[in-house]
Amino acid sequence: MSAPSKPVPLTTVESTETSDSGAQTLTLSVGPQHSGSGHMRLIVEVDGDIIVNVAPDPGYVHRGIEKIIELRNIIKSIPVIERPSIIDASNLNHAWVRSIEEIQGVEVPRRGQYLRTLLNEMNRIMSHLYWLSIYGVFLGHTTMFMWPLGDRELFIDLAEKLTGARITYSYLVPGGVRRDLPPGFAEEAVKRTEYFEKRLKEYDRIFFNNPLFTSRAKGIGVLSKEKAIELGCTGPTLRGSGVDADLRKDEPYAAYSELEFEVSTRPDGDSFSRAMVHMDEMRESCKMIRQIVKKIPAGPIRRKAPIVLPRGVAYGRVESARGECSFYLIGEGGDKPYRARYITGSYRNMAAIPAVLLGNRLADMPTAWWSIDYWPVEADR
Amino acid sequence: MSTQRTTQEEDPVATLAEGLSLWVGKLSDLVKKVVDTGPIRNVVNWARMYSLWPVNITTACCSAEFGAASGARHDLERFGVLPIGSLRQSDLIVIEGTITKKMAKRLRMIYDQMALPRYVIAMGDCAMSGGLFHDSYSIVNGAHEFVPVDVYVPGCPPRPEALEQAIIMLQEKIRRSKVYEQG
Ligand code: SF4
Repeated sequence: MSAPSKPVPLTTVESTETSDSGAQTLTLSVGPQHSGSGHMRLIVEVDGDIIVNVAPDPGYVHRGIEKIIELRNIIKSIPVIERPSIIDASNLNHAWVRSIEEIQGVEVPRRGQYLRTLLNEMNRIMSHLYWLSIYGVFLGHTTMFMWPLGDRELFIDLAEKLTGARITYSYLVPGGVRRDLPPGFAEEAVKRTEYFEKRLKEYDRIFFNNPLFTSRAKGIGVLSKEKAIELGCTGPTLRGSGVDADLRKDEPYAAYSELEFEVSTRPDGDSFSRAMVHMDEMRESCKMIRQIVKKIPAGPIRRKAPIVLPRGVAYGRVESARGECSFYLIGEGGDKPYRARYITGSYRNMAAIPAVLLGNRLADMPTAWWSIDYWPVEADR
Repeated sequence: MSTQRTTQEEDPVATLAEGLSLWVGKLSDLVKKVVDTGPIRNVVNWARMYSLWPVNITTACCSAEFGAASGARHDLERFGVLPIGSLRQSDLIVIEGTITKKMAKRLRMIYDQMALPRYVIAMGDCAMSGGLFHDSYSIVNGAHEFVPVDVYVPGCPPRPEALEQAIIMLQEKIRRSKVYEQG
């Protein structure tokens, strides 16, 4: 897991050198242009075709968001903090407004809480579907590239009805949400989630029960429970290793305490378990969406919140699609924060990439790597 | 050129080769003229505009909409756009959003390695002018600063429909251009 001792040049094949054991190893540079998706580089050292050393080289999308937040007022920052994980925008937005509300001491009306949860869960499905489609690309399974992206449009349409935007909503604002439910939304949501659950069964049939996938994913990229905890993994990566940790249950925020859902965990910790955790979460999210549109209370959707950030410190965290996303926010009385530390799920899970790759064959790299659901933009911020 | 040039001045083979290359030069000029007129140009341009294969390189968050555009509903493949991993076989770079200083060098490298003709679509406000992150310390404000750009797509992120429009505009541009002046 240690970084290579000397800087690796940009060429694809660096050198052949003899390691201590006398074996010939080869250092390969995978990325930032590679046949999968994601703009990061992995410097992989192989012995034959067994991976003996991996050093991730992130930072290709580092846009200095923490600094930019310090220069904008807290409302104008919302689009900026959404951008790191644009396919999971509302969850990141939620972490931001939670930390602001904690400093301001603003209570969100219950209808507002429900609407937040609704968009969060829709976003989780969209994000997992995007992950699944890219998994299809990584494994060369074109059907699994096309289907999830097509079904993702179901929820994109739904979110567009609710918020007015396809993927960048800026829907959550301090004090509540921007818009109320449009007429006819509940029926549409129920119809679409029910259709989608039927589709998930077909996914199982064509991909997850397919030997093409299972033989490449079962037992590949194993991350043990202890190792996952030690590395500080989070989200589906952690739950795929058998750890029952989900902020939505452990520290319920928004409307999660009033919803019935199960936290999915798998004991094996291989690529297949992590993939199945994603699938289970999509099913649970569908159930939650139906509960929300049925149970949603009447009332205001937004309470007036000041645009200033009073003096104070807050730590707001939510369970985003890729794990825990948190803000450590320091206010000093102006409309801009003094400092905002921004930690996302992918950033934490980056530590797991070498752990799941070591000891595997080079050909198994796509399966193991992408099962982490690493979204480089989110990790680099 | 396996000829051994021991007697440089009077070597008949070298003289012949020189004369030949002169002729070949003239011939290629002639071929260029012929190809650039009339139906041959139309055929070449037709082939080029309907097989725009973008190289598989993502730079930032606009890639989500690029993914949606090449997915099931929008299906860019009906325009002949098939994302491909190998840059030697591709003709198009779609710059998907913010270009950081670290990425700009790599993008230029990828552009240089691509075969002619090659085209560039700058997608998103970030690739046009820096967009949301224009005041950041680590980004390049606009793709035109290091590669020539054919089509810009405004939006943050642009909708898939906008990307389709950009592809159509690029195809129109290729249809009108000369065979040897592209890329
Ligand atoms: S234009 Fe918007 S969506 Fe695209 S890369 Fe820039 S910030 Fe992201």
